[in-house]
Amino acid sequence: MQELLGRIARLDPSASLGLRVIACFDELVVGNVNTRGLLAAAASLAGCSAGFRQEHPRRVLRVSPRGSVVDGDPPELDAEFMAPASDGLVVWLEREGEALPNDAITLERLALAVRIRHGRGRRDHDNRRHLGLLTDLDVAAEERIAAAVALGLSATGRYRVAAAPLFAVWVRHPDGPEDVIPTRHGPIHAIVLPESYDAFEASPCGVGMVSSVDELHHSFRTAMVALRLCAPPDDGLVCADVYGGLIDMLADTPEDAHQPDVARMDDVAKHPWGLTTVAAILATQSVREAARRAGVHHSTLSTRVDVISAALGFDPLDGFGRARLGLAYLSHRLRRSKVLDLPAPPFGT
Amino acid sequence: MTRVTNVVRPEFDPELKAGLAIVGGMFPPTITPDLIDFMRVSYASAPLDDLLAERGIGRVDLEVPGHEGTALAVSVLRPAGATSGRPGVLYAHSGGLMFGDRFSGIDLVLDWVDRLGVVMVTVEYRLAPEFPDPYPREDMYAALEWTASHCEDLGIRSDRLLVAGASAGGGLAAGLALAARDRGGPRLCGQVLDYPMLDDRGTTASTGQFDGIGVWDRVSNETGWGALLGAQRGGDQVSPYAAPSRADDLSGLPPAFIDVGAAEIFRDEAIDYADAIWRAGGNAELHVWAGAFHACDIFAPHTAVGRSMIQARDTWVEKILGD
Repeated sequence: MQELLGRIARLDPSASLGLRVIACFDELVVGNVNTRGLLAAAASLAGCSAGFRQEHPRRVLRVSPRGSVVDGDPPELDAEFMAPASDGLVVWLEREGEALPNDAITLERLALAVRIRHGRGRRDHDNRRHLGLLTDLDVAAEERIAAAVALGLSATGRYRVAAAPLFAVWVRHPDGPEDVIPTRHGPIHAIVLPESYDAFEASPCGVGMVSSVDELHHSFRTAMVALRLCAPPDDGLVCADVYGGLIDMLADTPEDAHQPDVARMDDVAKHPWGLTTVAAILATQSVREAARRAGVHHSTLSTRVDVISAALGFDPLDGFGRARLGLAYLSHRLRRSKVLDLPAPPFGT
Repeated sequence: MTRVTNVVRPEFDPELKAGLAIVGGMFPPTITPDLIDFMRVSYASAPLDDLLAERGIGRVDLEVPGHEGTALAVSVLRPAGATSGRPGVLYAHSGGLMFGDRFSGIDLVLDWVDRLGVVMVTVEYRLAPEFPDPYPREDMYAALEWTASHCEDLGIRSDRLLVAGASAGGGLAAGLALAARDRGGPRLCGQVLDYPMLDDRGTTASTGQFDGIGVWDRVSNETGWGALLGAQRGGDQVSPYAAPSRADDLSGLPPAFIDVGAAEIFRDEAIDYADAIWRAGGNAELHVWAGAFHACDIFAPHTAVGRSMIQARDTWVEKILGD
């Protein structure tokens, strides 16, 4: 995998390789992978053998980048290539020469993973870090506050969470505590930003709603919704503020919830002009303006509005119709979001 | 692509999942025709000469006649000091019939060269969609005939020639074995079909289970077969040499080694192919690896699953080819 890391760095110099290493060990810990597997991953990432020694009972294990066990005693190693995993447990990388850029993070995560595998880590949420705890509603409030304080956040401050996939491209990187958080959409790169933050550029990336420290789990969920509403390359960064209360609702609605308006929006989307027309209606005040935005004659747009009304069963321009249209449109896009499935080709071509 | 909900499927092995966290986004699960150019860049193999030198493997590049006589590049890889009477392997590379080169995934078969003393011929067959069926398979068949007729020059024992391939190359290798049988062509002592791409119809249960997920999903497979077969994909005119699952008769074939992941679209067609060989009274060894996604041994050879796959395959190849 060292070769892959190099290849990723060449294809996308902005890739956060350190975070990928963290995400890799997160998955290994969640999957209860044994010591040999942990050493094999570290060796494969580093491109040199990795090892482990336990004092009681005495046991040494060395594993090559191809995952095979290496016999014999380890070579003399510089202190920078060794890390204590716990009392009487030590791990190392058998690097010859200078350290490579990812050696330190690989060694740190290996040590932590070995520690947990050997039952020396904390129990309960032992394998999760502060940001993962802070953004999880199921963690007790006092534990979330403690995590916030450990991250250097003010208990009375107001913040937001930004979320991006590991393959996002960062043009300008904001400052703030960051980590990878495992989600059902895969590992997500999360950063805590102050309420008003300096502009930055990343794609795809979602910025969540502002909240107090104990509600940052909600900010994270809204950031995930915003992220999944991104449409790179034109719309690579979405801030939840744009949709406000709609995103608050979407963040807490189960994806497979029964929503007839959304099912009917699927029928609208079957027309080649369907979604662009709905977007134009939502972005404007009148049929005339919407027609201009969609680049069609206003009688054409009127006809389309009739077709949309018939498909939805309500008038999208009247009263709550506009709000229903907006919510159905966003839900439809969310259910079909490809942002987290595909990279942004064609870098490198 | 619609995100399919409520599809049940086997989970990926945790070590492989950890590997996917590293690669995230580099190899998209879904390859559509507009991604072919991107894949040709990101899938291109890295320079190989240092690795070969380190392992004491000699490389000679030659041009041989391909389909319709057009010159094809092949590389002959040979262990240091090998003279004559070595086992031979004709290798078809991976890459969905649309990308990759004759060194794609070669790491895994180089062990046969330096451990078993194999002389390996790996072929730059022409790629779809620029060269649709029958070019890829007939280029491979022409290379097989060339290899068989130059055994003496190559230092290969003519009674110990095996065809091997991974993914799209596995499908090509299976097609070679069928064509060699039917055309009275070179006698093969075995066929190694790694997670082979055998069926253009895309109707198996495993195909439906991996849509938009993993490596090489349902849509990617349609893209690959579409590039090869065009409008014929899924129709009734497809040659079994292109899509070996189409073959009615699987008797009289050389012994087959077939491996596949339980968590990939090719699972069911690989199982069916082995089963059809057995039902025809033939010799097949089938390994289905739990938690394995497509080509995970190339991508993550250091994992328990990857190592097991490689070891099982190498053991079989040694049984067939070893001195």
